[in-house]
Amino acid sequence: MNVIQLDGLTKDYGHGQGVFDLNLDIAGGEMMGYVGTNGSGKTTTIRNILGFLKPTKGKSYVNGLSSWEHASEIASFVGYVPGEIAFPDLKTGIDFLKCQAEFLGMSDMSYANELIERLQLDPRANLKRMSKGMKQKTALVAALMNDAPVILLDEPTTGLDPLMRATFLDIIKEEHKKGKTIFMSSHSFDELESTCDRVALINDGHIIDVCKMDDIHNREFKEFKIEFNTAEDYQRFIRGKYEITRLQEQYSQATIKIRSTETAQLLHTLRNYNVKFISELPYSLERHFKTVLRNKKENEKNGK
Amino acid sequence: MHVIEVNDLTKDYGFGRGVFNVNLHVDEGEVFGFLGPNGAGKSTTIRHLMGFSKPDSGSTKIFGMETFDKYYEILANVGYIPGEIALPAGLTGKAFIKMMQDLQHCHNQKQLKRMLDLFELDQTALAGETKRMSLGVKRKLAVVTAFMSDPDVLILDEPTSGLDPVMQENFIEFIHEEKKRGKTILLSSHIFSEIDSTCDRIAIIKDGRIVSEFVADDLKHASRKFYNVTFRSPVGKAISLDRAKERIPSLQLLGGGDNDAYISVEDRDLNTLIDILSDINVVSFSNRKESLEDYFMKFYKEDKDFGGALK
Repeated sequence: MNVIQLDGLTKDYGHGQGVFDLNLDIAGGEMMGYVGTNGSGKTTTIRNILGFLKPTKGKSYVNGLSSWEHASEIASFVGYVPGEIAFPDLKTGIDFLKCQAEFLGMSDMSYANELIERLQLDPRANLKRMSKGMKQKTALVAALMNDAPVILLDEPTTGLDPLMRATFLDIIKEEHKKGKTIFMSSHSFDELESTCDRVALINDGHIIDVCKMDDIHNREFKEFKIEFNTAEDYQRFIRGKYEITRLQEQYSQATIKIRSTETAQLLHTLRNYNVKFISELPYSLERHFKTVLRNKKENEKNGK
Repeated sequence: MHVIEVNDLTKDYGFGRGVFNVNLHVDEGEVFGFLGPNGAGKSTTIRHLMGFSKPDSGSTKIFGMETFDKYYEILANVGYIPGEIALPAGLTGKAFIKMMQDLQHCHNQKQLKRMLDLFELDQTALAGETKRMSLGVKRKLAVVTAFMSDPDVLILDEPTSGLDPVMQENFIEFIHEEKKRGKTILLSSHIFSEIDSTCDRIAIIKDGRIVSEFVADDLKHASRKFYNVTFRSPVGKAISLDRAKERIPSLQLLGGGDNDAYISVEDRDLNTLIDILSDINVVSFSNRKESLEDYFMKFYKEDKDFGGALK
């Protein structure tokens, strides 16, 4: 069953701003990433799913409940980390977490305590004076402590240092393993690649691509960039049998494309050359989406 | 001449929090990278440089002037992007820009237009009220207002956090241009590639103290690289690794499973490595391009202290 469903969801703010005719199905236990430029509509989508906004047209559903009509019910089983954290006017992190627990009708705080320990958060700190990282941690604890089956994360790692980011992502991956349904927006392709099952790309308010991470990882072809120590070797190599995708003669660098199964043969060939460095150019999510966007722009230019 | 100077800066917030005996300087025309985990003291140092906070001891100077005393004189010639943006409410983006221009005593419309174009802020976005802006638009607005007076000194506290990848690229492009124009820049960031591609010198701060300072080029030209190799079988892996160890003294085995190995070698030994690996059926061979990141992570990790652990 689809846990989150967007059905022609449209929120029109005028001037071409907003989101338009979004269709997306997220299955139970799936982790879906959401990427797009600033202002493309990521937060608007998430806020619609939570029922904070009334759609202009279309609907969004969580567990079959339409978001706008059942917002308070949805809040009871959805954990949410907003992109910009604005805490209520309470004194400390503990006060805030207690207030949230009360709101959710929770009595068992053991998972909350476990998260606090793992994140090395001091919840006694003054809410107003918390640093960015502490606020994010507090918000994550609040979102996860109820063991909610559905989790929405709006750029949860923005502004975190690499180590804290890794801890964050570890926790999110565990939640995913437990079978939670997760929808996460981010500007970091690396992060989405390492966590998500699928990733949707939103551009100017329209979802223009949804790709499976498996398809990105398991590709038939690979690209290698090779730099030679001598111009002679470079010349000899590019006259060889390999399919060349790019040449930078000034650096004696050649980029070639081979079948993934031919890696050993390539190394065998290179035995006869003086190689300065060799590096694989991975086909990444970033490259995939850049290609999608470039194709879209070209289509628009060609009078569509 | 040192344009930016931090001399023995100490600000003790108690409980081991704060910055302690921080020394750094940025020369004219230099780009200085400032790295460190959340809570290490980057923003505290920067806020002293902006004259927002009075040092317990030591001093912070820009153009040779004490920043706490001469804040107002310095302001017009220093562009600053804070780590967390708090825009005044009840203003449109346009009104905010006007207000900041008045405060800076500078109405350089040409530079303003350059910045608005570069960061793709159009009239529609600026007509909205600051409170209703998306995080990305707010960050862009902060960038534009910091640079619209074309200041000589730029102090940037995680300037690209929350910007999308396209804007991040534009930003780095902009830093390169400003560097060419002779600007003095202090840049704090968590994004290694950003620091890597822009900075001349880099300092790492941890627990309020500078723990490392070095010239960026030293790292860029590191002669040791890292590779992931997948073999057809565990036996194949054992054989080729044995051979590699014999012939390549610089080889280090850093990790891996049954069929794969994570290794590093000096660049001069790469051809020998290729030679050895080509004898066996290697399934995949790829390099890991994060030696710079690995270097920083070493400092970040040491003791996984996030600050404020629940004791």
